Amino acid sequence: MSASPDRASHESIVEIRTEAGPAMIPTIRAVAADLAGRADFDLDAISDLRMAVDETCATLVSIAAPGSTLTCRFTVVPDMIEVEAAVTMASGQGTDAVATDTFGWRVLQTLADNVGVLELPGTDSAATQVGIRLVKRAVTDQR
Amino acid sequence: MSESDPEYGHLVPLLREFASLTDGDPRRDALRDEIVTGFLPVAAHIARRFAHRGEPLEDLVQVATVGLIHAVDRFEPDRGSDFFSFAVPTISGEVRRHFRDLGWSMRVPRRLKDMHVAINTAVSELAQQLGRAPRPSEIAQRLDLPVAEVLEGLEAAEAYRSSSLDEMLSSEQGSATVGELVGAADAELDRVEFRQVLQPLLDELPPRERTILMLRFFGNLTQTQIGEQVGVSQMHVSRLLGQTLERMRKQIEL
Repeated sequence: MSASPDRASHESIVEIRTEAGPAMIPTIRAVAADLAGRADFDLDAISDLRMAVDETCATLVSIAAPGSTLTCRFTVVPDMIEVEAAVTMASGQGTDAVATDTFGWRVLQTLADNVGVLELPGTDSAATQVGIRLVKRAVTDQR
Repeated sequence: MSESDPEYGHLVPLLREFASLTDGDPRRDALRDEIVTGFLPVAAHIARRFAHRGEPLEDLVQVATVGLIHAVDRFEPDRGSDFFSFAVPTISGEVRRHFRDLGWSMRVPRRLKDMHVAINTAVSELAQQLGRAPRPSEIAQRLDLPVAEVLEGLEAAEAYRSSSLDEMLSSEQGSATVGELVGAADAELDRVEFRQVLQPLLDELPPRERTILMLRFFGNLTQTQIGEQVGVSQMHVSRLLGQTLERMRKQIEL
């Protein structure tokens, strides 16, 4: 395998849009695991990504506006997958809706190589989008 | 087994009598109970041969007892065969079927089940060699299979129930080390301000699940390393972690 200078040609994007409810989370995490498997992630990394996506979606769904959409975008580049998931917040939720002092966040920090909260401009002026971005590398760190 | 058998000999005439009764005979039920109860040690003995494969022994004894009941119902003494030579394969067959059918939470073709076993073996061998979890391509190379088939097999592994034939926790092995590691992880937990929220949830977990969770999220071990410590496969660690997180999430929401 030779390294290509054209990184973009190795990038593939998969985006899933679904109702922001728990029903489709198993599907989304299965897609995550499938992408990681096809990208030849090691088995620990595949499993970590699956759980991280699960945790991410569950967190976002819990603060989403009723009937809103959960968007989950996977960007697969060699040896790395970036996940950006977002929902429209339920009214009354502040910008700190994604709590980072919880066990759930601890789980995400452990499972992903990098994780952060995304604040996104809403599609219409009233609604604010909030999201989580995480990066998982193909080979698990040995700590 | 003959009537002179010290343990089961007295049951031989009962078997003969039971077989001679018609379906509606009122004596049938009591006689059947007596025979089945008499042979229970045989069922338990067979069940124990299948222990340490990830299924609780009580479940196995129950399944073996069902096999024993089938054997009692179907046994035909007139055919001249010994009850044991009929009952033992019947009971073992029932237990085997239990593993084969109930071990999988959804229908998975035979070919994939065989591959699951092959992949599991390859994964643990490669993990030892590499010192980390293998990639699908590495498993494919080891098994001389196309990567696509390995991915298919890994996917099927997800359908396998949490307790499986080859992933039983080896009870004593390395338990001291696990204790030490959990101790360290506990100290780490002290620094987490939400300890009060988390502690009651952790306390409710089965010991093994709790250990695995602590090692992963507070001991920062990889799944492969945890598998080595606890004596289960990486795939099993993965499943247990996923289940535990889901369970805790549900409880937090309650």
